[in-house]
Amino acid sequence: MDPFLTSRIVSDILGGLTNGVIYGLVALSLVLIWRSTGILNFAQGAMPMIATYIGMVVFAHEFSYWPCVAISLVVGFAIGGGTERLLVRHLYGKPEINPIVVMVGFLIVLEGVAAAVWSTEPRGIVNPFSPIDFQLGGKPIAMSAFSLYEVITAMVVMTLVAVLFRYTKLGLQLRASALAPEVSRLLGVRVSRMLTLGWVLSMGVGTITTILVASNFFTGLTPQVMDGIFAFGFIAAAVGGLDSPVGAIISGICIGIILQFVGDFLNSNYIILVALGILIVSLMVRPNGLFTKSSVRRV
Amino acid sequence: MDWLRFGRRPIITTALVAAAVVVAVVTTSTVRDGVAVSIALAVAIAGVATLTSKGIRATHPALARAALTVTAVDVALFATYFFSATTNFNLAIGAAMSIVLLGLSFLTGASGQISLGNGAFMGVGALIMAIWANHHATTPIAITLLIAVVGGAFVGLLLGLPATRLRGPYLAGMTLAFAVAFTGIVNTFSSWTGGDAGLQLPSAAPAPHWLVSFFSAQTSLFTTGTMWLTDITIVVTGVAFFFMANLFASRTGRAMRLIRDNDVAAELVGVSLPRARVIAFIVSSAYAALGGALWTLINNSVSPPTYSFALSVTILSLIVIGGIGTIPGALIGGLIYAYSTNVISWITTQTGLNPQGNFASQLNGIIFGGLLIVTMLFAPMGIAGAVRRLWVHRRTKTALE
Repeated sequence: MDPFLTSRIVSDILGGLTNGVIYGLVALSLVLIWRSTGILNFAQGAMPMIATYIGMVVFAHEFSYWPCVAISLVVGFAIGGGTERLLVRHLYGKPEINPIVVMVGFLIVLEGVAAAVWSTEPRGIVNPFSPIDFQLGGKPIAMSAFSLYEVITAMVVMTLVAVLFRYTKLGLQLRASALAPEVSRLLGVRVSRMLTLGWVLSMGVGTITTILVASNFFTGLTPQVMDGIFAFGFIAAAVGGLDSPVGAIISGICIGIILQFVGDFLNSNYIILVALGILIVSLMVRPNGLFTKSSVRRV
Repeated sequence: MDWLRFGRRPIITTALVAAAVVVAVVTTSTVRDGVAVSIALAVAIAGVATLTSKGIRATHPALARAALTVTAVDVALFATYFFSATTNFNLAIGAAMSIVLLGLSFLTGASGQISLGNGAFMGVGALIMAIWANHHATTPIAITLLIAVVGGAFVGLLLGLPATRLRGPYLAGMTLAFAVAFTGIVNTFSSWTGGDAGLQLPSAAPAPHWLVSFFSAQTSLFTTGTMWLTDITIVVTGVAFFFMANLFASRTGRAMRLIRDNDVAAELVGVSLPRARVIAFIVSSAYAALGGALWTLINNSVSPPTYSFALSVTILSLIVIGGIGTIPGALIGGLIYAYSTNVISWITTQTGLNPQGNFASQLNGIIFGGLLIVTMLFAPMGIAGAVRRLWVHRRTKTALE
């Protein structure tokens, strides 16, 4: 009997953590694209949604959960790379509203196509993890096998991305071509390949996030499943700073926990209002995000 | 075509007006109709005469814009007498939409920013209109519309405050968050807003008394009891466009275009960046709120789920297709919106799709999204920009020959 673990505050923190890692992952995938190509990808929810439909719905009859995850990931990589090569490539160096508009258009085309092919009915994804909370002395802890799976997967993905960027040669090339494309090109880095790779990586993170969200027993997969989560993910990325992967993850988790408290102690209707408030206040205080080193842009 | 410039030939103008009155008297059966037709024709002739008088666009640009607005509104009002009730309804919805589009066009054209939340700002105006009308049924419509505009501007100010320091994608993302959040916010205050069910106006909005007494419902011209709504919408649209055209050309407008093109240079010549950005954002939200308030008036009710993120995206598509940053682009976009439902159902029947099927119900989004991408990649200034380029091209060619 440990009343502490089943107390309201601990439950909120655990529940908030489960949501927060998802927001953190979305924020991370946004940051990956922003850093490599300077584009805020508004289709960041919709592109992996397609990959998840293809992997987890089309192949659901032939394969079990894990092969389907693998297929989704491969499709996600392909969508990421293909989009960068065929669509996004034409947008570099254009006024900054052009990529925004094009990606919003891409978002609604993808959502429309998904709804046309698979309908807007939620599709449950059968997965090996139970959504029922663990029990402790007859009381539930706000943590189930499924949410544990979410949190651990998210942590693993974040660590992998960190290791890739910090300790591998490829990561160095990625960072270099984002920071100084001209110099990197002169030093022999295939910059254009690195830009594509940034999108591929980001779509990998996005696909895993979407699978986690859609595998949730209470959500299921719908064409618009990522719309709301994208908004929270963007808020996390903007609060943390679009340049900072660490900031994205930390602010994602913090926002998840804060919003869980808001939903529990106030009213679940206030969650989105508070999230908007956090965004507005933090943008007014630190327009470039809490975790970026300030860089001077104007004279 | 010199004879068309009757601004310099008062005799021709007078003769035309007289001919118009004769035509009116001959073709109409009642005195009231005759008076109405004569007035409409006289106004149109006077407007065109002012517009075409030589040099007026250079010496009195505001007067030229006023003449253009008055002529266009006059012709549109006159046309509503001959349209069916359905056409008039579509026209009113499209005209209100063109106000919203104009606001967004201004935001982008004047300051290079973009908003993905104008659907939600429309919703703000629509709800304020309905709430006010439910509590103060006797307030004249013009005042209620103004209150909705002020309310929209205030919400725009709240959200726009951080915009003083933001660059493109941040503002777009923030307005997107607002658009996604809007339905939730409406539900939070459901005791005022009626939640998802929305609000009804207290009674079918009655036509103002003086309007009824002028165009009596008994005359053949006054075809339906709701036509005055279309007429009011058209007049308000005219005012909105006139105001915006002047703002575009004013000192503030020029300062904003400088910011869009080169913000460093703008600061160096003394333009206050934060102020200009917030003003642009507020104007765009106020225009969106005005459009939404008109929708409430036309529909006689407000249904908050209409003002979803999907509507914001539709607004963006329409202005991009019409020509973002231009004034005619907003009109083109409004017209497209008025008829988009018809065109899409026509496509559905022509291609033999099941109208209740998945694909047909998604056709709207797919077509608009596809057009959004194609336009932005191949003709970033939309239809208005393409037409203008053709025009300039032809003129330079004739000048060279």
